[in-house]
Amino acid sequence: MTPAFTRTALALLAAMLAAGRAAAQETDSRLERLDAATRPTVAALVDSARTAMLPTEPLVQRALEGATKRASGDVIVAAVRRLAVDLGHARDALGSTASPAELAAGAAALRAGASQTILAELRHARREPLTVPLAVLADLVASGVPVDSAAAAVLGLAARARDADLVEFRRAVERDIALGAPPAAATAAAAMAADVQVNAGARQQRPGRP
Amino acid sequence: MRPAAAARHVWTASLAAATSLFGVRAPAAQTTGTLDVGVSTVRYDGFLPSGAGSLTPALTWERPGTAVTARGTYLRFESGRRSLQGLVAASLLTPPSLLPHRWRGELSLSAGGSSYADFASFWHATGEARLHFVAGGRGAWIGVTGGRTSYGRAARPVAIAGVGVWARRSLMTVAMSATRSMVGDTAYSDLGSTIHASWGRFGLDASLAARLSSRGAGHGVHGEASTTFTLGQRTALFISGGRYPTDPVSGSVAGRYASAGLRLRTAPLPRPRAIRHPQPFMRRSPANGDGGAGFTARLEVQPVPDGTVRVVVRAPAAATVEVAGDFTDWQPVTLRRTGEDRWESVLHIPSGVHRVNVRIDGGRWTAPAGTARAEDEFGGEVGIVAVP
Repeated sequence: MTPAFTRTALALLAAMLAAGRAAAQETDSRLERLDAATRPTVAALVDSARTAMLPTEPLVQRALEGATKRASGDVIVAAVRRLAVDLGHARDALGSTASPAELAAGAAALRAGASQTILAELRHARREPLTVPLAVLADLVASGVPVDSAAAAVLGLAARARDADLVEFRRAVERDIALGAPPAAATAAAAMAADVQVNAGARQQRPGRP
Repeated sequence: MRPAAAARHVWTASLAAATSLFGVRAPAAQTTGTLDVGVSTVRYDGFLPSGAGSLTPALTWERPGTAVTARGTYLRFESGRRSLQGLVAASLLTPPSLLPHRWRGELSLSAGGSSYADFASFWHATGEARLHFVAGGRGAWIGVTGGRTSYGRAARPVAIAGVGVWARRSLMTVAMSATRSMVGDTAYSDLGSTIHASWGRFGLDASLAARLSSRGAGHGVHGEASTTFTLGQRTALFISGGRYPTDPVSGSVAGRYASAGLRLRTAPLPRPRAIRHPQPFMRRSPANGDGGAGFTARLEVQPVPDGTVRVVVRAPAAATVEVAGDFTDWQPVTLRRTGEDRWESVLHIPSGVHRVNVRIDGGRWTAPAGTARAEDEFGGEVGIVAVP
C-alpha cells in the first residue's frame, strides 16, 4: 500500500465522516415537532443558511417557537425566512468573524429598526463581543426609545462599558420609563450616568441655594 | 452689557423657556424644565438673617454626551430688596472613538451673572477641559479651568486646576475632588465630596467641603444637603439647607440657609404608575384573553456562580407556572413552587439574548414583566431577556 494511496483513503474517509455529520445536522430531530408539510420547507431554509455559513440554531429555534405557539405552517416558514434574511444582513454589517450569538442579536436589532450602519459602528467601537450591546439596543427600541437615541446611547457606552454595566444601564432606562420618564430622556440620562460623572454645572438638578 | 442687565436677561430667558414648556410634553423628549418656588431663611456672613421668597426656573437639554442648562434665581428679601442670578452651562463629551479605550474628554462652558439690590453685580465666563478615565462604575478626572470674572470693575482672570474621583453603586454616586483656584489676587484650595442617591420617591444630594490655604476667600468646613420628595408626575417637594463658602468666581457670598418649596417639572417626575412594568405583577382581566387565572407574571433571571441560571417567576394565585424559550428548545418547563407566589427552576442558559414566554395555569403564552416585549411573529408577544 503506497503512502499516496493511504493519504487518499484517509481523505475519503474524512470526507465521508463529514458528509455523515452534515446529513445528521440536516435532519435535526427537533424539527419533527413541525407538521409534515412545514418540516421540509423549514429544513430547506436551514440547509440554505448552513450553506451560506449562517448560524442555523436561531432558525430552528424560531420554528420551534412557532410550533409551541401552534402557529400555522405558513406563518412559521415566513418567520424563519425573515430571520434568515436578517441574519444575512447582520453578517454583512458585523463582518464574517461575528459569532452566531452576535448575528442573532444583530438580526434582532435590525428587526427592531436599527440600521446596518449602526451595527457596523458598534463593531468598530467595541472590541469585546457585541451580543449584549446589540440586545440592549433592540431592547431599548422595543421599549419605545427612538432608534437614533438608542443607538447614540449604546454607541457611547459600547467602547468601555462591561456587559453587566450595559444590562444595568438597560434596567435603569426601563425603571425610569416605568416610573413615567419619556423613553428618550430616560435613555439619555441613564447613558450619561452610566458613562461619565460629568461636570456637575451643566446637569445640576439639586435645589439651588439662596 | 452691564452685569445687572446680563443677569436679568439670563434670568428672563430661563423663566420664559421653562414656562413655555409647561403643559407641553418635551417634543424631542430630551428637554426638561423645572420651576422651583420656595421660601428661605438666609444669613450671609456679616449680615443679619433674613427671610426670602425665591423663584428658580431651569431648563436642561440632554442627549448622550451633551448637556446644556440655563438656570435663574429671583430672590425677594424681607426688606423688599431683590437679587437676580442667571447661569448658562454646557458640557460636551468627546466621541468615544477620539481617545483611547476608557478615556474621554469633556469641554464645559459656564457663563452667568448676578445682581443684588442694583448696587452689587457680578458676571463670569469660564471654560473647563477635563480628561476622564472610566472603568465600569468608577472614574477619575483631571481638569483645568480658565476664564474671567468681574465684580463691578475690571475683570479678573480665573484659573483653576482640579482632580476628582467618583464611584457609582446601584442608586448612589459618591464623588470627591480637590481644586486649587486663583481669581485675580485671591487664591484658595477646596477639598470636597458629594453624594447623590435616590430611593423611590426620595432623592438626596449632600456635600461636605473644606477650604484650605486661602488668601482672601475664607477658611472653614462647609456642608449642604437637599432632599426631594416626589408628589406627582410633575411635582415634588424639596428641603435644603447648609452652609456654603464664598465663591469668588460666581460672586456668591458665604452664608447659611434653609429652604423649602415646591418643584414643578415640564416632563413627568418619576412616580410609580402603570405604563409597562411598574409593579411586580400586572393583573389583567380575563377578557383580555390571558386564559387561566388571568394573570401575567414577572420573570427574573439570576446567574448562579456555577454557571447555571436561576429562573424565577413571581405569579400570584397561580397553580402551575411554565416557561419556554430558546434555552429549552421551546419545550415547556414546569417551575417548582418555592414560596408564596414564587416559582423557580435552575437551567443552563448561555450568556446572550434569549426569547422567553411564560404560561400560567395552562393559559396562553405571554411575555412576562421584567423582559422587553416584542411581537413574536406568531400573533403574540415574546419576552426578550439578556443574560450577562
